[in-house]
Amino acid sequence: MFMLRRPRSPRPPPRRWSPVSALGRGIRFKASIVSPLLLAEMRVARAGSDVFGWDYLVRGPAEKVNYTVLVLIPLILLVVVALFWCWLQRQEALHRSRQLQRELNERQRVEEALRESEARFRDVTEAASDWIWEMDEHLRFTYLSERFEALTGIDTRSVLGLTRWELAGVDFGANPQKWRKHRETLEGHLPFRDFIYQTLLIGGQSTGRYLKVSGKPVHDERGRFRGYRGTGTDITEQAKAEEALYQSELRLRRIIDLVPHMIFARDRRGHFLLANRATAAAYGTTIEALVDPSYPLSHGVPEEIEQRLADDLAVIGDWESRLIPEEVFTDHAGRVRTLQTMKIPFSEPGANGAAVLSVAIDITEQKQAKEEVARMRLYLKNIIDSMPSVLIGVDPWGYITVLNQPAEQTGGISWEMAQGRFFGDVFPQLEGQFEQVQQAIRQGCPIKTPRMTFEVEGELHYADVMVYPLMADHVSGAVIRIDDVTARVRIESMMVQTEKMLSVGGLAAGMAHEINNPLGAILQGSQNILRRIGPGLAQNHAAAKALGVDLTQLNRYLQERGVLRLLEGIREAGVRAAKIVADMLSFSRRSEALFALVDVEDMMETVLRLAASDYDLKKKYDFKRISIERAYDPALRAVYCDKTEIEQVLLNLLKNAAQAMAEAETPVPRIVLRTAREPGYAVLEVIDNGPGMEEKTLKRIFEPFFTTKDVGVGTGLGLSVSYFIVTEQHNGRLSVASKPGQGTCFSIRLPLVREKLS
Amino acid sequence: MTGWVLIVDDEEMIRENLKAYLEDEGMGVAAFESATLALSWLRGGARCPVCVMDMRLPDMDGNTAIRILHDLYPEMDFLIHTGSSSYSLPEDLRAMGLDDSRVYRKPLEDMAPLAAAVRALAAAREVRP
Repeated sequence: MFMLRRPRSPRPPPRRWSPVSALGRGIRFKASIVSPLLLAEMRVARAGSDVFGWDYLVRGPAEKVNYTVLVLIPLILLVVVALFWCWLQRQEALHRSRQLQRELNERQRVEEALRESEARFRDVTEAASDWIWEMDEHLRFTYLSERFEALTGIDTRSVLGLTRWELAGVDFGANPQKWRKHRETLEGHLPFRDFIYQTLLIGGQSTGRYLKVSGKPVHDERGRFRGYRGTGTDITEQAKAEEALYQSELRLRRIIDLVPHMIFARDRRGHFLLANRATAAAYGTTIEALVDPSYPLSHGVPEEIEQRLADDLAVIGDWESRLIPEEVFTDHAGRVRTLQTMKIPFSEPGANGAAVLSVAIDITEQKQAKEEVARMRLYLKNIIDSMPSVLIGVDPWGYITVLNQPAEQTGGISWEMAQGRFFGDVFPQLEGQFEQVQQAIRQGCPIKTPRMTFEVEGELHYADVMVYPLMADHVSGAVIRIDDVTARVRIESMMVQTEKMLSVGGLAAGMAHEINNPLGAILQGSQNILRRIGPGLAQNHAAAKALGVDLTQLNRYLQERGVLRLLEGIREAGVRAAKIVADMLSFSRRSEALFALVDVEDMMETVLRLAASDYDLKKKYDFKRISIERAYDPALRAVYCDKTEIEQVLLNLLKNAAQAMAEAETPVPRIVLRTAREPGYAVLEVIDNGPGMEEKTLKRIFEPFFTTKDVGVGTGLGLSVSYFIVTEQHNGRLSVASKPGQGTCFSIRLPLVREKLS
Repeated sequence: MTGWVLIVDDEEMIRENLKAYLEDEGMGVAAFESATLALSWLRGGARCPVCVMDMRLPDMDGNTAIRILHDLYPEMDFLIHTGSSSYSLPEDLRAMGLDDSRVYRKPLEDMAPLAAAVRALAAAREVRP
């Protein structure tokens, strides 16, 4: 490459050997060594050959002898000297010739080597992908080897005489700084390497080529700058490939930067090898800073970093991609995000061989939404479970999709088990509803079947069945809602009864006066009659005596004829009628005027006294046989109520208990009177150890005219009046708990709120 | 003057039965079917310490009759015997010293308590100067 140019440069002219010049040189040499005098003589002889010597010898003896001898001696001497000189000269010449021969041989060998080298150089030059260029001291191209044209397709002649920047007009315009620097180098006569530029002349028709050139300055023997000489290579293909690669990389870079997910690669120590913009943004820095090896590995929450590194190492260890479904990542702003990350191992030269590419998708919102959905689902499940109604969701073909808790209880089956089964199989009582389900879906409106009757354990139950069509997109089906309204039906019938009783009460109040007067006449009349025919009054005896009637006999007569018994019957009938009227009057609403604070214990004791002296009780049952237990809550003293009314209720309950125990002949009859304070209520309880009641009886116990007693024993109004008094007049509750053979407990609950009114 | 008992009741058999019972108890009884008749009898100079008053009378309300009698004869005491279920004592009657124990509801199964009350009231009046 740095070989000499001019392979055909003129060779130094060959020096020819000639004896004359050799003799001449020999003479000169001889003279110099004999004597300067002789040399001077020689010079004289050569300068003027005709002055003496040859002419004298020819003319010879005509001259004087002594003169001749005188002349001959030096002549002979001269000849001897000359001969000696000649011999010397010959020896010298021989030596010289041998030396020359040697020199010649050496030169020929060097020239041969040079020619060979030149040939090799030429071959290399011709064969090389590079070309050789030369510039003169004005930096204009003076020479370009053939390869230039072959490689670049640019006509060499169009380049010679131009400077490099003239050759690259476009590039020069595009990168003036690069060129300025290059020009400074050249003008400073400095060597340069691998200068790359594009040859494209402004307005030129050829496509530009990318050239890479190196060169060094050339100086002549005297150190003067003679120009540049160097090599050049066409790197257009390489440059294009590089450019394409660069563009492709740029495009990829843009694409991964456009992706909103975090894309990054890290080596096994956790250093970022690559990161996209989303990643950099999450770390609150730039991509450049992130991929810088000096970026701190400990950036972030320590546990998260540890976890991520462990995951990365696991991926590298298994050399298998792995999806991390949920990963906690706290970003630079402290926001905790949930990421779903795909980790892919790959080989990265220079990163200890292994690295992990991660693609992390921010699923925070998705996760929140999912959690919200789950929460909502649970919430709704709780809501539908909390409903007392039986809810059965079915598809259009009647297969169960949803059951709420009451439905699970009713059907005796869990939701999971019931799913996909036909609802009529799980709830046989609803089988007939399939038609309604289909109809509801078809018509898109709910269908109600009120008061459907079911037989549950031998008892009649009522239920309202409602079929709602479901109107979600593309999902059709229906919800069957069943409300057990048995209790409501009972309450309703009770309310109807109550209403009846109220009207009875109203009626009774209106006509009480009219009935009570004749009843008074009957009762008072009976009393007077019995008194006046009896032997007890002094007036009777006086009147009888005056009329001559034997009062004792008369009495015996009346006894005999059953008149006394009949009179007693009139009296009792009157009493019973009066009682019925009084009970009926209880159904009318009382004014609050009769309400007062009443001492509960006092009231209980009063009622006990009343019961003990109760006419009916005394007659048929021995109340004293019943042991009374008192369990009074000292915390409960006064209750706001209508004393006579509540006394009536308590008396009713006591009588009821006594009668029940007497009828069942309970061996050790016992009644517990208990008071207690509950939140908001005063509780008064009458508990017996009598025969108890069946469920059926319990449910009807407060119905008016419902009685288990023999006809004539009770009016059938006692407990319903009590119920009315407690619930309607006192806004309280009257409840009963009983089981056959286990006694009965009646509980009166009166609101305590009224205490404050007093 | 022995203690007369005044009975005002428009129901004849009630009136007669009460009268009979109290007379059997040895009391002097004057019974009238209206307040007007009772008043005219009293204006005739009759004196009685106790009156058993019905509420629903043909000429006036029993409460009014009591007020009039009380004005005219402040020493007179009253028992109320009514067939009305919703009767309650007016405040001004309570102010006269009447209370719920004076109220007897029809029908009376037993007249003994009423008779006892009359006797007690009459006795109390007699003691008074």
